Amino acid sequence: MSWKDWWDTFVIIIKDGFKGSKRYYLAMVGLTLIFLYGFYLWFFIQHAPVFLHTDYGGLALTGMNDSDPWGLYIAFFIYWVGVAAAGIAFGVAAYIFQDKELLKIAVLGEVQAVAALIIVLALVGFADLGRPIRAMFELPFLPNLHSMLDWDFIVISTYLTINLVAVYVTIHYYRQDKPLPKKFIIPYIVLAAPFAIGIHTVTGFIFQALRARPIWNTSLLAPSFVATALAAGPAMVLLAIYLAERYIDGFSVSAEMYKKIIYIIAGGLIVGLYFTFSDAQEIFWYTTEPMKWAQARNLFYGLHLPYLAVLEWIWISFAVAAVLLSFIPSTHRSKGAMAFIAILTIIAVTSEKTLATLVPGFTPSTLGEIRPYHPTPIEYGIALGVHALGIMIYLWLARPAIKAVMTHYFKPGIKTATVPENSAH
Amino acid sequence: MNRDVKNDNNKDAMNNGKIDEKRRDVLKLMAVGAAITSIPLVDKEKLMKVLKPVKLEGMLDYPLGGPSDSQSALEKRAKKKEAKLKKWCQKEARKVCEKYGESSEECKLVKQKCKLLVVKATPPKKGVRYAMALDLNKCIGCRRCVYACVMENNQARNLHIEWIRVLEANRMEFQDLLGSQWYYKEGPKKDKVYIPIACMHCEKPPCVMVCPVRATFKEPDGIVVIDYDRCIGCRYCEVACPYGARRFNWKKPYIPVLELNPNMHILGNVPRQIHVMEKCTWCIQRTRDGGVPACVEVCPVGARVFGNLNDPNSPIRRIAEEYGLFVLKPDAGTHPKFFYFFGPARTPPREGAASTSKEAQNGGGSK
Repeated sequence: MSWKDWWDTFVIIIKDGFKGSKRYYLAMVGLTLIFLYGFYLWFFIQHAPVFLHTDYGGLALTGMNDSDPWGLYIAFFIYWVGVAAAGIAFGVAAYIFQDKELLKIAVLGEVQAVAALIIVLALVGFADLGRPIRAMFELPFLPNLHSMLDWDFIVISTYLTINLVAVYVTIHYYRQDKPLPKKFIIPYIVLAAPFAIGIHTVTGFIFQALRARPIWNTSLLAPSFVATALAAGPAMVLLAIYLAERYIDGFSVSAEMYKKIIYIIAGGLIVGLYFTFSDAQEIFWYTTEPMKWAQARNLFYGLHLPYLAVLEWIWISFAVAAVLLSFIPSTHRSKGAMAFIAILTIIAVTSEKTLATLVPGFTPSTLGEIRPYHPTPIEYGIALGVHALGIMIYLWLARPAIKAVMTHYFKPGIKTATVPENSAH
Repeated sequence: MNRDVKNDNNKDAMNNGKIDEKRRDVLKLMAVGAAITSIPLVDKEKLMKVLKPVKLEGMLDYPLGGPSDSQSALEKRAKKKEAKLKKWCQKEARKVCEKYGESSEECKLVKQKCKLLVVKATPPKKGVRYAMALDLNKCIGCRRCVYACVMENNQARNLHIEWIRVLEANRMEFQDLLGSQWYYKEGPKKDKVYIPIACMHCEKPPCVMVCPVRATFKEPDGIVVIDYDRCIGCRYCEVACPYGARRFNWKKPYIPVLELNPNMHILGNVPRQIHVMEKCTWCIQRTRDGGVPACVEVCPVGARVFGNLNDPNSPIRRIAEEYGLFVLKPDAGTHPKFFYFFGPARTPPREGAASTSKEAQNGGGSK
């Protein structure tokens, strides 16, 4: 195991990004264009006064204002932290239980974590931050350990490093058809598991400790973040496997594995729904805090912001539907049906863990002002660009990862053995 | 029997030169379990010592957050800023003089402003603890304090940033700020109470707690300030403030040089940059030199009282002893140093009490 081998792995990962079918090239070019457009909007318009010292531009172009200081960027930051956290559930479970089917897809969870965390850092560290260059110098050198935002940067960057290393090591060993060494697996489990829960918990702590925003001021916030993350993250992995099976020749995962993922999703959704229910009881039955009640009425009835109620009820109804569907035995036989449950879950959690979590805290704002927050086109554009970047990184890393997994687990002899499982489809 | 079998197995293992892994694992688990179960048996006082929270305050120079810049560094920064602002001022002055003519009033005013322009870095005085109180019975909601604050503190004229917000609320449930509004057009109304709100300079400021780069901190004299050169514009403090006291520069701020206040403090009213936070500093450029904030000076009914809490003869102490003080949102637990009280006389007077109103307005209040 020389250094040259490690270097070769790096070269393979880079080179694989440029090899592929026509469809892959088209997708990559399209995503690059979307990303560049988002970058243009950010650098040359929204942040132009900071970088280019122009008079036009500034965060005033977004829908945010002094009543709603945070908007779409932070909303999607919450969601993608969750997706990143849950990806690791597969890695840890796979290495602890040594389940062969799990081991096949564990690396996909890690790739997903990397892509999601890059979206997170781009959103919170560049798109939303007023002065990103200052932050780059000050956050490491002038940290305030009372601030949860600092802890979030610490855990997120550590978790990103862990996952990058994990993806790299996995590709390195699997492409040479070797099992992962124990000296990698044990430190990985010990480090990654707490950080996975940690990133979403700390993100919850950013919001829940604020007395100024009563609707967030519940200790159920961080646990409910983790619960819905455990639904949305695996749902994303399931969808990725489903697509990989369709588009990559020879890659297949048993229906049994799909079923296991559906169990995790259902569990996460049930706990998440239960937390929503518990919060609603506290607010609508006994709360004596007028501000909390007013904010909750905005969330559940959409008094001043109708889209909030739509999002909240989409979460409740779609999540209930996904849970009920996952109980029906006949869905467990069809991979398509299980992918449908995953899509329902992703829509439900995206609805709730974005704007429906964030905006009620600002309407009404601390002094009782109601200034409805509506994202502006520039916010959508920049958010879209960031997401394009995330998907690009996902595609870039997932392809060599799947290829490496296939050289290790899908040898010609074994390949035929996995086919009968597919017939259940 | 079983035991014998196990022993035999062990012997076999020993003979083969191998170690029985299972047995080892069980022993390890037992040791861990014993350690965990023995926690309650440990001497509680010893445990308390171990679990004592680490005091971060002692590690930093300031109680919470706190600047990393020393006083001399701050002064150096202020000097630099002053030179820069003077250059800018002279450039703008030339434009103004071209527009209005060399001998016009405007030209003279601008030139004088450029000459007077100073950026101070006055340190806090020792033993001083500032506080402000506001008589809700006197306030007529005229918003003159708001305008004075804008002029005094060089607030951006193109962003409508106002550090003070005057809320109009019902006299019944005025503390429930939900029913209040600050877009009222006429006043004063007899059935309303007017509540000016600005930074409360809390004793336990949540904004200082949450700032990720220690750009905002509480000074020893009780003023919470923002270092504009360090703010990264994450707006977490604005989310955390229970009083909605903070304002963000969403666009490039602009002040016409004719309206510039040349008396500046580096942590106070020095013209802001884009994407930084700002808020009331109790006119740090005035109070640190012994003055009172502009809002106190301008108030036409004398509703505001400002002073040193540590000084027994200060007006604020007299008000506290005479009428008692309260704060808004005490349940937020931030211990504001901006107090409210209901004084003896009311402006405008109640109906039917018109005869005594003049006496009352003159601040007598004696019965």
